[in-house]
Amino acid sequence: MPLSHLSKAITVNGDLESDGELRIYGNVRGQVCADRLVVGAGAFLEGDVIARDVHIEGRMEGRIFALNVTLDSGAEVNGRIFHNTITVAKGARIDARMPWRPPSYFETLETLPEARQ
Amino acid sequence: MSMFNRTDNKETSVSAPDKPRDVTPAPVAAAPKPIQPTPAPAPDLSPARSAGPSVISKALKITGQLESTEDIRIDGEIEGDIHGVAVTVGNGAKVKGSVYGQTVELAGTIEGKIEAKKVILTSTAHMSGDVIHQDIRIESGAYIDGHCRPGSNKVDIKPVAKPN
Repeated sequence: MPLSHLSKAITVNGDLESDGELRIYGNVRGQVCADRLVVGAGAFLEGDVIARDVHIEGRMEGRIFALNVTLDSGAEVNGRIFHNTITVAKGARIDARMPWRPPSYFETLETLPEARQ
Repeated sequence: MSMFNRTDNKETSVSAPDKPRDVTPAPVAAAPKPIQPTPAPAPDLSPARSAGPSVISKALKITGQLESTEDIRIDGEIEGDIHGVAVTVGNGAKVKGSVYGQTVELAGTIEGKIEAKKVILTSTAHMSGDVIHQDIRIESGAYIDGHCRPGSNKVDIKPVAKPN
Protein backbone atom coordinates (compact mmCIF):
# COMPACT_ATOMS: atom_id res chain seq x y z
CA MET A 1 0.00 0.00 0.00
CA PRO A 2 1.47 3.37 -0.93
CA LEU A 3 2.57 5.31 2.06
CA SER A 4 2.48 9.08 2.22
CA HIS A 5 4.45 10.91 4.84
CA LEU A 6 4.02 14.54 5.82
CA SER A 7 6.93 15.52 8.02
CA LYS A 8 6.82 17.92 10.95
CA ALA A 9 8.23 20.69 8.75
CA ILE A 10 5.18 20.75 6.50
CA THR A 11 1.99 22.79 6.58
CA VAL A 12 -0.90 21.87 4.33
CA ASN A 13 -3.95 24.03 3.77
CA GLY A 14 -6.36 21.97 1.76
CA ASP A 15 -7.96 18.61 1.27
CA LEU A 16 -6.09 15.32 1.18
CA GLU A 17 -7.40 12.23 -0.51
CA SER A 18 -5.56 8.92 -0.53
CA ASP A 19 -6.32 5.28 -1.27
CA GLY A 20 -3.38 4.25 0.85
CA GLU A 21 -1.83 5.10 4.14
CA LEU A 22 -1.20 8.65 5.22
CA ARG A 23 0.98 9.74 8.12
CA ILE A 24 0.83 13.29 9.31
CA TYR A 25 3.49 14.77 11.57
CA GLY A 26 3.05 18.39 10.55
CA ASN A 27 0.14 20.80 10.43
CA VAL A 28 -2.84 20.07 8.24
CA ARG A 29 -5.99 22.11 7.87
CA GLY A 30 -8.58 20.46 5.67
CA GLN A 31 -10.54 17.32 5.06
CA VAL A 32 -8.66 14.03 4.99
CA CYS A 33 -9.80 10.84 3.27
CA ALA A 34 -7.55 7.83 3.49
CA ASP A 35 -7.58 4.12 3.98
CA ARG A 36 -5.43 4.43 7.08
CA LEU A 37 -4.49 7.66 8.80
CA VAL A 38 -1.83 8.21 11.44
CA VAL A 39 -1.65 11.57 13.18
CA GLY A 40 1.74 11.39 14.82
CA ALA A 41 2.99 12.94 18.03
CA GLY A 42 3.48 16.66 17.59
CA ALA A 43 1.12 16.86 14.64
CA PHE A 44 -1.96 19.02 14.46
CA LEU A 45 -4.91 18.24 12.24
CA GLU A 46 -7.90 20.53 11.91
CA GLY A 47 -10.68 19.11 9.80
CA ASP A 48 -12.84 16.08 9.21
CA VAL A 49 -11.42 12.63 8.69
CA ILE A 50 -12.93 9.75 6.77
CA ALA A 51 -10.90 6.58 6.94
CA ARG A 52 -11.01 2.90 7.71
CA ASP A 53 -8.39 3.02 10.45
CA VAL A 54 -7.39 6.10 12.38
CA HIS A 55 -4.51 6.22 14.83
CA ILE A 56 -3.99 9.44 16.74
CA GLU A 57 -0.96 10.36 18.84
CA GLY A 58 -1.11 14.10 18.31
CA ARG A 59 -3.69 16.86 18.35
CA MET A 60 -6.80 16.88 16.28
CA GLU A 61 -9.88 19.03 15.98
CA GLY A 62 -12.84 17.91 13.92
CA ARG A 63 -14.96 14.92 13.21
CA ILE A 64 -13.66 11.40 12.71
CA PHE A 65 -15.57 8.83 10.68
CA ALA A 66 -13.71 5.57 10.96
CA LEU A 67 -14.36 1.90 11.54
CA ASN A 68 -11.41 1.51 13.88
CA VAL A 69 -10.12 4.36 15.98
CA THR A 70 -7.09 4.26 18.25
CA LEU A 71 -6.32 7.21 20.50
CA ASP A 72 -2.84 6.95 21.94
CA SER A 73 -1.72 8.36 25.26
CA GLY A 74 -0.53 11.62 23.73
CA ALA A 75 -3.72 12.21 21.77
CA GLU A 76 -5.77 15.35 22.19
CA VAL A 77 -9.06 15.26 20.35
CA ASN A 78 -11.83 17.81 20.08
CA GLY A 79 -14.96 17.04 18.11
CA ARG A 80 -16.89 13.90 17.36
CA ILE A 81 -15.68 10.38 16.82
CA PHE A 82 -18.01 8.17 14.78
CA HIS A 83 -16.62 4.70 15.18
CA ASN A 84 -17.29 1.00 15.21
CA THR A 85 -14.43 0.02 17.45
CA ILE A 86 -12.41 2.41 19.55
CA THR A 87 -9.38 2.11 21.77
CA VAL A 88 -8.40 4.91 24.12
CA ALA A 89 -5.08 4.77 25.91
CA LYS A 90 -4.58 6.10 29.41
CA GLY A 91 -3.54 9.71 29.24
CA ALA A 92 -5.42 10.65 26.11
CA ARG A 93 -7.31 13.91 26.38
CA ILE A 94 -10.65 13.51 24.69
CA ASP A 95 -13.24 16.24 24.53
CA ALA A 96 -15.61 14.63 22.11
CA ARG A 97 -18.79 12.72 21.63
CA MET A 98 -18.14 9.17 20.53
CA PRO A 99 -21.17 7.79 18.74
CA TRP A 100 -21.02 4.12 17.86
CA ARG A 101 -22.15 3.12 14.39
CA PRO A 102 -22.62 -0.29 12.73
CA PRO A 103 -20.16 -1.24 9.99
CA SER A 104 -22.86 -0.63 7.38
CA TYR A 105 -22.89 3.04 8.29
CA PHE A 106 -19.30 3.40 7.16
CA GLU A 107 -19.93 1.49 3.95
CA THR A 108 -22.54 4.01 2.89
CA LEU A 109 -20.28 6.99 3.47
CA GLU A 110 -19.77 8.38 0.00
CA THR A 111 -16.19 9.40 0.33
CA LEU A 112 -15.04 6.37 2.24
CA PRO A 113 -12.21 4.70 0.33
CA GLU A 114 -14.07 1.45 -0.26
CA ALA A 115 -17.19 3.26 -1.45
CA ARG A 116 -15.31 5.25 -4.03
CA GLN A 117 -14.31 2.23 -6.09
CA MET B 1 1.54 -53.17 4.04
CA SER B 2 0.61 -53.30 0.40
CA MET B 3 -2.58 -51.38 1.06
CA PHE B 4 -0.50 -48.46 2.23
CA ASN B 5 1.33 -48.34 -1.02
CA ARG B 6 -1.81 -47.12 -2.70
CA THR B 7 -1.88 -43.98 -0.61
CA ASP B 8 0.48 -41.12 -1.13
CA ASN B 9 3.86 -40.68 0.48
CA LYS B 10 2.70 -38.44 3.29
CA GLU B 11 -0.07 -40.76 4.39
CA THR B 12 2.30 -43.70 4.50
CA SER B 13 4.84 -42.03 6.66
CA VAL B 14 2.24 -40.77 9.13
CA SER B 15 0.29 -44.00 9.49
CA ALA B 16 3.37 -46.24 9.63
CA PRO B 17 5.97 -44.50 11.75
CA ASP B 18 7.89 -47.72 12.50
CA LYS B 19 8.79 -48.08 8.86
CA PRO B 20 12.43 -47.43 8.05
CA ARG B 21 12.91 -43.83 7.17
CA ASP B 22 13.98 -44.31 3.64
CA VAL B 23 11.14 -42.23 2.26
CA THR B 24 12.04 -38.73 1.25
CA PRO B 25 12.18 -36.63 4.39
CA ALA B 26 11.00 -33.44 2.76
CA PRO B 27 7.24 -34.15 2.67
CA VAL B 28 7.34 -35.53 6.20
CA ALA B 29 8.85 -32.37 7.53
CA ALA B 30 6.62 -30.16 5.43
CA ALA B 31 3.34 -31.88 6.16
CA PRO B 32 2.74 -30.93 9.79
CA LYS B 33 4.27 -27.47 9.51
CA PRO B 34 3.44 -25.72 6.28
CA ILE B 35 5.83 -22.83 5.88
CA GLN B 36 3.91 -19.61 6.17
CA PRO B 37 5.33 -16.41 4.85
CA THR B 38 5.93 -14.16 7.79
CA PRO B 39 3.85 -11.02 7.45
CA ALA B 40 5.83 -7.90 6.78
CA PRO B 41 6.51 -6.12 10.07
CA ALA B 42 4.50 -2.99 10.56
CA PRO B 43 6.58 0.09 9.82
CA ASP B 44 7.63 1.76 13.01
CA LEU B 45 5.76 4.80 14.24
CA SER B 46 8.63 6.19 16.26
CA PRO B 47 8.91 9.95 16.49
CA ALA B 48 12.27 9.76 14.75
CA ARG B 49 10.34 9.26 11.54
CA SER B 50 8.57 12.58 12.04
CA ALA B 51 11.55 14.39 10.56
CA GLY B 52 12.99 13.95 7.12
CA PRO B 53 11.46 14.57 3.74
CA SER B 54 7.74 14.56 3.14
CA VAL B 55 6.52 12.01 0.65
CA ILE B 56 3.30 12.43 -1.28
CA SER B 57 2.71 8.93 -2.63
CA LYS B 58 0.97 8.26 -5.90
CA ALA B 59 -2.20 7.32 -4.03
CA LEU B 60 -2.51 10.77 -2.51
CA LYS B 61 -4.21 13.79 -4.00
CA ILE B 62 -3.95 17.16 -2.31
CA THR B 63 -6.12 20.13 -3.17
CA GLY B 64 -4.56 23.10 -1.49
CA GLN B 65 -1.31 24.68 -0.50
CA LEU B 66 1.80 22.92 0.79
CA GLU B 67 4.53 24.68 2.71
CA SER B 68 7.59 22.98 4.09
CA THR B 69 10.92 24.00 5.53
CA GLU B 70 12.31 20.66 4.40
CA ASP B 71 12.36 18.52 1.29
CA ILE B 72 9.27 17.30 -0.47
CA ARG B 73 8.92 14.39 -2.86
CA ILE B 74 5.74 14.23 -4.90
CA ASP B 75 4.54 11.13 -6.71
CA GLY B 76 0.84 11.91 -6.47
CA GLU B 77 -1.37 14.71 -7.61
CA ILE B 78 -1.44 18.25 -6.27
CA GLU B 79 -3.67 21.15 -7.14
CA GLY B 80 -2.14 24.14 -5.46
CA ASP B 81 1.11 25.86 -4.74
CA ILE B 82 4.11 24.13 -3.22
CA HIS B 83 6.83 25.80 -1.17
CA GLY B 84 9.77 23.65 -0.19
CA VAL B 85 13.55 23.42 -0.09
CA ALA B 86 14.32 20.58 -2.47
CA VAL B 87 11.16 19.66 -4.32
CA THR B 88 11.14 16.51 -6.44
CA VAL B 89 8.21 15.86 -8.73
CA GLY B 90 8.51 12.22 -9.68
CA ASN B 91 7.61 10.47 -12.89
CA GLY B 92 3.84 10.16 -13.13
CA ALA B 93 3.20 12.93 -10.64
CA LYS B 94 0.99 15.86 -11.55
CA VAL B 95 1.08 19.37 -10.17
CA LYS B 96 -1.30 22.16 -11.06
CA GLY B 97 0.13 25.26 -9.51
CA SER B 98 3.39 27.00 -8.77
CA VAL B 99 6.38 25.23 -7.30
CA TYR B 100 8.87 27.25 -5.27
CA GLY B 101 12.08 25.97 -3.79
CA GLN B 102 15.86 26.05 -3.70
CA THR B 103 16.03 23.07 -6.00
CA VAL B 104 13.20 21.75 -8.13
CA GLU B 105 13.63 18.50 -9.99
CA LEU B 106 10.88 17.56 -12.40
CA ALA B 107 10.28 14.13 -13.90
CA GLY B 108 6.51 14.39 -13.99
CA THR B 109 4.05 17.05 -15.06
CA ILE B 110 3.67 20.63 -13.87
CA GLU B 111 1.03 23.01 -15.13
CA GLY B 112 1.96 26.31 -13.64
CA LYS B 113 5.26 27.85 -12.71
CA ILE B 114 8.61 26.82 -11.32
CA GLU B 115 10.59 29.35 -9.36
CA ALA B 116 13.82 28.01 -7.94
CA LYS B 117 17.55 28.59 -7.71
CA LYS B 118 18.32 25.32 -9.40
CA VAL B 119 15.95 23.63 -11.81
CA ILE B 120 16.40 20.18 -13.32
CA LEU B 121 14.06 18.98 -16.02
CA THR B 122 14.64 15.28 -16.66
CA SER B 123 13.84 13.43 -19.86
CA THR B 124 10.30 12.58 -18.74
CA ALA B 125 9.48 16.10 -17.59
CA HIS B 126 6.40 17.84 -18.95
CA MET B 127 6.40 21.51 -18.08
CA SER B 128 3.58 23.82 -19.10
CA GLY B 129 4.42 27.27 -17.85
CA ASP B 130 7.30 29.53 -17.05
CA VAL B 131 10.52 28.52 -15.38
CA ILE B 132 12.31 31.15 -13.35
CA HIS B 133 15.73 29.95 -12.37
CA GLN B 134 19.34 30.83 -11.67
CA ASP B 135 20.74 27.51 -12.80
CA ILE B 136 18.92 25.15 -15.10
CA ARG B 137 19.56 21.74 -16.57
CA ILE B 138 17.31 20.31 -19.25
CA GLU B 139 17.73 16.75 -20.37
CA SER B 140 16.93 15.56 -23.86
CA GLY B 141 13.30 14.56 -24.10
CA ALA B 142 11.94 17.10 -21.69
CA TYR B 143 8.87 19.00 -22.83
CA ILE B 144 8.60 22.70 -22.11
CA ASP B 145 5.82 25.02 -23.09
CA GLY B 146 6.69 28.32 -21.54
CA HIS B 147 9.42 30.82 -20.94
CA CYS B 148 12.66 30.01 -19.23
CA ARG B 149 14.14 33.10 -17.72
CA PRO B 150 16.77 33.77 -15.13
CA GLY B 151 15.46 35.16 -11.91
CA SER B 152 17.02 37.95 -9.92
CA ASN B 153 19.94 37.05 -7.73
CA LYS B 154 18.28 38.22 -4.58
CA VAL B 155 16.82 35.20 -2.95
CA ASP B 156 13.24 35.88 -2.05
CA ILE B 157 12.20 32.35 -2.81
CA LYS B 158 13.08 30.93 0.55
CA PRO B 159 10.36 28.74 1.93
CA VAL B 160 8.14 30.37 4.47
CA ALA B 161 9.07 29.73 8.07
CA LYS B 162 6.98 27.22 9.89
CA PRO B 163 4.62 28.86 12.37
CA ASN B 164 5.07 27.38 15.78
